Amino acid sequence: MIPSALIRLTKSPIRPETYRKTLEDPGSGGVALFEGRVRDDPGHHATRLYYEAYSPLALRELERLSRQAATRFGARRIVIVHRLGHLRTGEIAVFIGVATAHRTKAFAACRFLIDELKRRVPIWKTREESRTKR
Amino acid sequence: MPRLRVLLFATAREAVGQSELEVPYRRGQTLAEVLAEVVAAHPRLRPHLRHRLALDGEFLEQPASAVILSSQKEVAILPPFSGG
Repeated sequence: MIPSALIRLTKSPIRPETYRKTLEDPGSGGVALFEGRVRDDPGHHATRLYYEAYSPLALRELERLSRQAATRFGARRIVIVHRLGHLRTGEIAVFIGVATAHRTKAFAACRFLIDELKRRVPIWKTREESRTKR
Repeated sequence: MPRLRVLLFATAREAVGQSELEVPYRRGQTLAEVLAEVVAAHPRLRPHLRHRLALDGEFLEQPASAVILSSQKEVAILPPFSGG
């Protein structure tokens, strides 16, 4: 089955509520959402990260992941949005939403997508501030 | 003479201080040979040649020494991913 997938790399702040409609589906009884946020890192000053991507390949790989999530977990609606550029503590770096018929597969598909994104998709973060002096 | 764009990301970009280089090549040269020329001009890039590569927007699944260049336009050096 080909899922309805919305895949996006964006330099603007991610607002998850924007994607609620995309995840609406009468055949889906479970929707799992994941937000990856920039967190404070002990030993560092206020964290600032820079995210960059090899965009054409990142988008293509995310499409492949979506198709696999559909095949393996029956995902019916998928949203994957990754932020690029400069981010501060608390900002959302990645948002993933998956709708499936039942909850178990929604959780599993969401977990699969974030784990495989980190492993397979050409996106990088680099730290921008100096280490705290001790 | 065709030219190959060399895209650099993350630690590879930081090592050179640029996100993109350009190198001319002769048809029939291998990708490994052309990358060796790039490293000769930018020695700090050397440790990054062990990373994965992408050629014209797709992951390269064979060694650079096995790729004969003809009309390729873009190679990307891909340090370990750290998105999410």
